[in-house]
Parts: sequence; structure tokens; C-alpha cells
Amino acid sequence: MDKLKLEILTPNGVIYDGEAVSVTLPGEEGEFGVLAEHSCLTTLLETGVIDIEKEDKSVESILINWGVVQVDEKKVIVLVEGAVAIRGATEGEVAKALESAKELIESIKDNNPAIATVTARLESAAQNLL
Amino acid sequence: MANLKDIQRQIKSVSNTQKTTRAMKLVSTAKLRRAEELAKRSRLYAAKMNQVIAEIAGRIKCNKVGGIDNRCFIEIEDPKTVDIIFVTADKGLCGGFNIQTIKAVKKLLAEYKARNVKVRLRGIGKKGIEFFKYNEVELFDSATNLSSKPDKEKSDEFILSSIEDFKDGKVDALYLVYNGYKNMITQELHVNKVLPVDTTQFECGEAKQSMLEVESQDEEKMLDSLVDRYVQYAMYYSLIDSVAAEHSARMQAMDTATNNAKEMVKSLNVEFNKARQAAITTELIEIISGVESMK
Repeated sequence: MDKLKLEILTPNGVIYDGEAVSVTLPGEEGEFGVLAEHSCLTTLLETGVIDIEKEDKSVESILINWGVVQVDEKKVIVLVEGAVAIRGATEGEVAKALESAKELIESIKDNNPAIATVTARLESAAQNLL
Repeated sequence: MANLKDIQRQIKSVSNTQKTTRAMKLVSTAKLRRAEELAKRSRLYAAKMNQVIAEIAGRIKCNKVGGIDNRCFIEIEDPKTVDIIFVTADKGLCGGFNIQTIKAVKKLLAEYKARNVKVRLRGIGKKGIEFFKYNEVELFDSATNLSSKPDKEKSDEFILSSIEDFKDGKVDALYLVYNGYKNMITQELHVNKVLPVDTTQFECGEAKQSMLEVESQDEEKMLDSLVDRYVQYAMYYSLIDSVAAEHSARMQAMDTATNNAKEMVKSLNVEFNKARQAAITTELIEIISGVESMK
């Protein structure tokens, strides 16, 4: 299967740089998935979770609070304001990541109903890891 | 000839100062490394952000009749009110680092005063704020502790009011003045005009990167929300760049201070030895003349 190159950048550095089979992004008008060879697209992202499916079928989730994505045939570049990756080798690390993710959500002073869904998504992503 | 004890005391005091300055240099070196690393990582984001904004703005500029219809991108020829945000350090002992920024701000102030433009000065960093307060220049707004510990959220908040005032038409231009990092031994003063965004650099690119699913109305909405982030990021970047520059300036200043102290101890030692010899000579003469008189 074709792979796409994915880069996720924050003002404090790169949070993800690697290859992926598919990536699901929380677009402004709804969630959308991107596979390799996707046509060019630039759009805004809102608070949500980016799901990255890797070659070994594992899924990595990254929480973002705002972003803009630029897609072309070979590459997906996501610029985000704040991001927390839900990953870790041990239970403790995952719990810690989840904690900081929740902090990020709380910092968004917005009554967006989507936030509740985002929190639920986060917890299930963390569950899958354990 | 100076007193022997006085010289000894002076030598001790100078070498103690030397110890302090050397320690400060080491601390700054360590901090500089970290700050430099952060700035380097952040630059990747800056490059992509510029690219995205240039692409969208460029497309609107070229494809739409009348160009970009957004206040943030239209040059105002006759500004009435201008916001100047300056970034200085919270601490001194870093050579001419703060003074350079202050001088640049003063120059800008004088320029606008001559043109009868109202300037709202917004300061970040204790040193600059103290300077303008002492000189009785009114500060519109100020923040401390932000330049020594850059925080994205706080910096966003700080600049947001300027962005909003600009969009409301209360302010016609926004400048960012700070001393940035160039390399280990040089700092570079930046006077950046962040708003309105300079559109001359945006070119009508090839239609290769077409936005199939985005309509032109959305494009403008996107640009509007992007420009906020863009300016906020410019603010944040100026802070982290300034921290790196501050540490490099302090490192240098402390290095020079250590070397100067070394020189001083050396010359004081020479003086001390001379004084010691003189004292011995005097003593000898006294003894000899005492013996002579006894004969």
C-alpha cells in the first residue's frame, strides 16, 4: 500500500515526522481522511484528534487545538497551535500524556459541543494503547 | 605608594568578582544552548506558516478583482495611530543588549512624532519598561516575566488586543522591535512591521497547488483566521529569539568581565610586589641609618 509523508509542526517544534498509511483530520466542516495520492487541499482544522494509521496497523492519536493542513499528492503538512501526542511505552506514560491532553482541552475556553466527543475519543485512544 | 593591606583587599575583591562573572558566563552558556535549540525547532513552523499564508494571500491577490479585501493586508499610507511593541530583557548585565532595542524604539518614536502620528508604546521586559518610565514616556501597556520565560498563551494574549484594535481600525500599523539572535557572538536588531502584512512578497504562484474543495469565500475566511495566528506567532518567535540573544549577549559580557578581572588582578599583583619591595627598602634604610647613628 502506498504511504504518505506526514509532518505535524507546532511553534515549539516537530511533534510527528514520518510515514503513515492514512491520517484522519478534524476539519472545520467535519472529519476527513487522507490517503496517499490525495488531491491538493488546504483547509483549517479545529479542536480534535488526529488519528495516524501506520504501516503496522497501529494507530497513533494526537490531540490538537487549532490547525491548518496542507495536503498534496505526496505529503501532508499540519501546522498546529498546541498538540499532545497520546503515546508512551508504559501505562504511566500514557496516563501522563492523557493528563496533559486534558489540560490542553481545558485551556480552550469554548463551549463547543465537540469537546465532549473529543474527550471521549481521547480516552478510548488511551484504552487501546494499554 | 598604596597601603599593602589595601592592595591585598582589592585583589581579593576583584578575584571574587571574577568567580561570579565566570559562573554567570557558564550559566548563560547552558541556557543559551537550550534557547537556541527551541528557536531552531520553531523556525520550521515559521517557514511553513509563511508558505501557507503566502500561497493563500497570493492566490486571492491574483485571482480576485480588487485584490485582497482584508484590512490586515492593505498598506495604509497615512497612519494616525501606530502600535509599537518592544521586547527587552528582564535582567541587565548583558552589555548593550537592551540599550540597542531602546535606541531603536526611541528613533521610531521620534520619527512618528515628527509626522504627527500617535504612538502607543507596549513594552515587554523590565529593563525597557524601567527606562521609559524613568524618562517619562507613557507606556500604553506592559508585561514583565514574559521575555525571560516565553509562554505561547501569555504572548498570544498580549498581542491579541493589538490585533483586535488593528482590525477595528483603531490602529493603523503594528511594529515589533526586538534584539534577535544571529550567532554566538552577534545579535541582530529587528524592527518588523507585522501589520499590515507586506503583500509585495506574495507572488501569483502556479496553479499547481489548487484548492479543489475550497471556495473563494472560504479562502478569505481562512486568511482572516490565519493572519491572527501568523501575527501571534511572530510575537512568540520574537520572544524566543530574544531570549537566545539575551543569553548570548550576557555570555559575551560576562566573558569580557572575567578577562578584565584577570587583567586587573595581574596589574594589582605587580603593584602589590612593588609596594612590598618599597616597604622592605624603607625598613632596611631605617635599620642601617639607625646603626650609623649609634656609632
